[in-house]
Amino acid sequence: MIMIDSADFLSYLSDNDFTFSTGVPCSYFRNLLLALEKDDRFTYLPATREDEAIGIATGYFLGGGRTFLIMQNSGLANIGDAITSLTQLYKIPLLIFVSYRGLEPDKDFPEHSIMGDVTKPVLDAYQIPYWVIKETNWKVVLDNALEVMEELSKPVCILVKKGVLSE
Amino acid sequence: MKGAEVISKLSTILNGEELIVSSNGNVSRQVYHLLQGDQIYLRGSMGLPVSIGLGLALAQPNRTVLVITGDGNFLMGLSAMTTVAHVQPTNLKIIIIDNELYATTGGQDTVSSTIDYITMIQGMGIDTARSFNMSDDEILISEMLKDTILEPGLNVLHLKVEEDTIVLDNIPHHPTKIKDNFMSRFS
Ligand SMILES: Cc1ncc(C[n+]2csc(CCOP(=O)(O)OP(=O)(O)O)c2C)c(N)n1
Repeated sequence: MIMIDSADFLSYLSDNDFTFSTGVPCSYFRNLLLALEKDDRFTYLPATREDEAIGIATGYFLGGGRTFLIMQNSGLANIGDAITSLTQLYKIPLLIFVSYRGLEPDKDFPEHSIMGDVTKPVLDAYQIPYWVIKETNWKVVLDNALEVMEELSKPVCILVKKGVLSE
Repeated sequence: MKGAEVISKLSTILNGEELIVSSNGNVSRQVYHLLQGDQIYLRGSMGLPVSIGLGLALAQPNRTVLVITGDGNFLMGLSAMTTVAHVQPTNLKIIIIDNELYATTGGQDTVSSTIDYITMIQGMGIDTARSFNMSDDEILISEMLKDTILEPGLNVLHLKVEEDTIVLDNIPHHPTKIKDNFMSRFS
């Protein structure tokens, strides 16, 4: 698989008025996070938990800013109440990048297998629109996701498989 | 002194420009009914008022952001304080209304009674934490509230309070209206 170039990816986010990011790392975002931490167009704030990151991003939006978030799909299990009783309830637009772990490349990582199976059902249950990105279509998908995020004023999620944003 | 009385006292100290985030349950009701302005009254997301306050303080660096939180909420989101300590946002003020209870759900105990808040918060790297205990003179509360809001820098005030006896009415607005009212303050 060909990887998305982190510099292109960050330029896209910068061009779309993102200056702030928070989240909890996943190795699937290793390259992106290395580039993000070095890029002065952005402030990346490491959170201690994914629900905390949702809280920070919500506060940042209420103050007039835009946030993209980075988390592992295991983090989707940590953000249930933050999503349902905060961001869906108050209608807070957020762009959330979630690693899609627990698929075939993770067959030696049983800790991810069940969340891998339920990732899409969990997003459906949270009523979060989601897309899977590839190196070949990411810009079109992100354009669409941002449009939906603005139009519905709610969180949207981008699922990122192994090798797409990091080796 | 009761939690609602402490929140009432704030009305004489605030200038109306502060951006307030209040924790879910009784505290948000009290902030809605007893303080002025369109604020962020949380209806759910227990544990997140400090995180939301941090994000707001970063997006609005020229405004004072005040988080008013119950001890149950504060403890649920405790690790957010370590992030606050790391960032040291100078416009963020946090007031913990500690009744040692989950009062909203019927007055069950939290674990607050065994915590030394000042030592804990200082250990996280926040030097400017103050505490009010039941045995302290009540006159001190007003001074402490004033210092917490008005002194420059990240300030945290932990207040031991008695259980409230009156439950105030529900907040009449839908959360999207709470948000819209709040955000219209910037336009
Ligand atoms: C995740 C979650 N768990 C439990 C509840 C139920 N609940 C609502 S308010 C509350 C108590 C909050 O306690 P505290 O912040 O100390 O405020 P107090 O009620 O004492 O004023 C609880 C447990 C909830 N809303 N969300």
